Amino acid sequence: MKKLVLSLSALLLAGSAAAQDLSGTITVWSWDAAAKALESTIPSFNKKYPNVKVKVEDLGNQNVYDRGLAGCAAGGQDMPDVYSIENNEAEVFWARFPNCFVDLNTKGADKLVKDFPAFKWTELMAGNKRYAMPWDSGPVVMFYRRDLYQQAGVNPDSIKTWDDFIAAGKKVNAKFGNNVKLATIANGQDDEWFRMLANQNGCFYFDNAAKAVTVNQPGCVTALNTIKKLYDAQVVTTGDWGGQITNIKAGKTASAMFGAWYEGTIRTNAPDQKGKWGVYLMPASKAGGVRASNLGGSALAIPSSSKNQAAAYAFLEHALATAGGQVTMLKSQGLVPSLLSATKDPYVKTAQPYWGNQPVWQTILGTLGDVPQARGTQYFQDARQIMIVVQADYIKGRYKTAKEALDDAAKKISSATGLPVAK
Amino acid sequence: MTTSQPLSPPPRRAGRWARTPKAPYLFILPYLLIFATFWAWPIVSSFLMSFKDSRLGADAPYALSNWSRLIEDEFFRTALRNTMVILVVQVPLMLSLATVLAVALNSKLLKAAGWFRFAFFAPLVVGTVAYSAVFRLLFNTDFGVVNRALTGIGLPAVDWLNQSGPAMSVIIMAMTWRWTGYNAIILLAGLQGISEDVYEAASIDGATPAQQFWKITLPLLRPTLLFCMVLSVIGTLQLFTEPALITNSGPGNATMTLGTYLYQQGFRSFNFGYASAIAYTVAAIAAVFSLIQLRLFGRER
Repeated sequence: MKKLVLSLSALLLAGSAAAQDLSGTITVWSWDAAAKALESTIPSFNKKYPNVKVKVEDLGNQNVYDRGLAGCAAGGQDMPDVYSIENNEAEVFWARFPNCFVDLNTKGADKLVKDFPAFKWTELMAGNKRYAMPWDSGPVVMFYRRDLYQQAGVNPDSIKTWDDFIAAGKKVNAKFGNNVKLATIANGQDDEWFRMLANQNGCFYFDNAAKAVTVNQPGCVTALNTIKKLYDAQVVTTGDWGGQITNIKAGKTASAMFGAWYEGTIRTNAPDQKGKWGVYLMPASKAGGVRASNLGGSALAIPSSSKNQAAAYAFLEHALATAGGQVTMLKSQGLVPSLLSATKDPYVKTAQPYWGNQPVWQTILGTLGDVPQARGTQYFQDARQIMIVVQADYIKGRYKTAKEALDDAAKKISSATGLPVAK
Repeated sequence: MTTSQPLSPPPRRAGRWARTPKAPYLFILPYLLIFATFWAWPIVSSFLMSFKDSRLGADAPYALSNWSRLIEDEFFRTALRNTMVILVVQVPLMLSLATVLAVALNSKLLKAAGWFRFAFFAPLVVGTVAYSAVFRLLFNTDFGVVNRALTGIGLPAVDWLNQSGPAMSVIIMAMTWRWTGYNAIILLAGLQGISEDVYEAASIDGATPAQQFWKITLPLLRPTLLFCMVLSVIGTLQLFTEPALITNSGPGNATMTLGTYLYQQGFRSFNFGYASAIAYTVAAIAAVFSLIQLRLFGRER
């Protein structure tokens, strides 16, 4: 018995000693609100691991991707200890640089499989290697200005389809003499709206097996048609990422549609509009249709070149695999957890003052189960670049129908990637 | 007569190598090694890579797939067309402006010539990222000063960065703003190389200033103009910064150049094989253009 107690206490000591043992500095690369969210988990992390110093560097989204690829191509040069990666783009890394990142199964991630929804893992694995841990997801919702909607006489509850949305836009146009639009769409700079709507209609660039191009399937045609209808009805304006934020700050748009992580973007960029904003589900293509979609969502990986992999993994585990870490990020920057236990946290049900005391997280997380599957594949960027142009050309009137535009896109994506167009 | 004495015949084999001093080669050896490693080898390596599908990994078999894709790639043709538009519109515009500017800067009537020379050269000193950001702000549709000025004098506002034609004109204006002064300074140096005597003689013969400009200044400035033109053409073929930072190649592909397309393929899609094929095509086009210019304008009288 004495022996058992001794060995038990030895074990306990070893356990806490291990936490004390982890030391040094780990560098984390991330972007914008996501970087701030990771930063907000550091205090609780340091309670467990007081000797590990975490340095979060906000490089901006594109820069993280570019420098990561360059670093991997250079055999792991100039890489951080923790690397942020968007799910859509993750497969490029695993496909081209299978040795650039640590297989997290070797660190114990295989024990966490059931803690996350299965769809979050698919893009993060290659063979049986698990290259990154799921972080946030991007269930799409419509953010709207309560005051502007009210002034124009629009009731958000009545907007159930895209046709309803267009009708609401016309009311807004009439009320504000075209000085306020219903939304800003990135046209010619990005194709986010197309991706959100395509996903909503069960379509994407590629099929879920990543074996064929499916961008000209009926769901995608509906998506592109809807975008054209929004432009033709003149209820939307055009702007890139920065332009969209500028419009929100200036009160030139009455709503914005994005993955739920945009909550933090609006809240931190327009703090003076507190209480004026609300959230409703994205409109469906037809009455009774799907009102959910996913845009973005990220993961964290550990580069093989990291000198401090144990501390890096401890950071990942604390920030992503504990409800505490995930809810901290939800609170500070609105990053929507994909950890199943965190989605049941009491905080999810609480009223949010910024959002006019609406319990927005309940609304947003409630859509997760309806999100159709979609997969980025390692050719995501090729397909995206092509689709950006085809969408802009179609809006401009260069194609007669959305089907014709997407047939052309499918042909181009096929020739760029070598994948066949699905029948 | 010492010369009548025949010289002993040179040794047959040891010959030139033995007599050549070796020290110079040893001295330049470090440079040659660095040149071979960092210049020559990458050039060869990227040529080899243009025959591989680098997305399949390093072991991909050699094939012509990148080159055949290049031939039918509509995006590549768009990039080529955009680059040519800039070449045909911007380079002549800029060089004419630079010539006029150089003549003005060279004028004896100009006070504070040094200050003006600096002022026109200054745009080049500004960081590219900073000046691109400023141009983005100037041409912002809703908040930009350009549209404020247009609407101020009763003209309609232009959606500069979200429409293809206006976006291209922003790129051309930005490049002209940045590079005209640089070319003017080079041309100014050329002007100062022309002897005063020629003009004096011309005035005595009763030539008007306009006649002097067309008949004396321009012909004598030709070598300098040619130098500026070749540099500008090569610069335009490699054009990257302005379309990448001001318009992000957009809207759509409206301002995509060979440079930004190469970058997109190489560093966005990480398709180095295809990017190498594009790079080699750009280099070939640049070589052909330089050759044509030298042939057309470079002949000596």
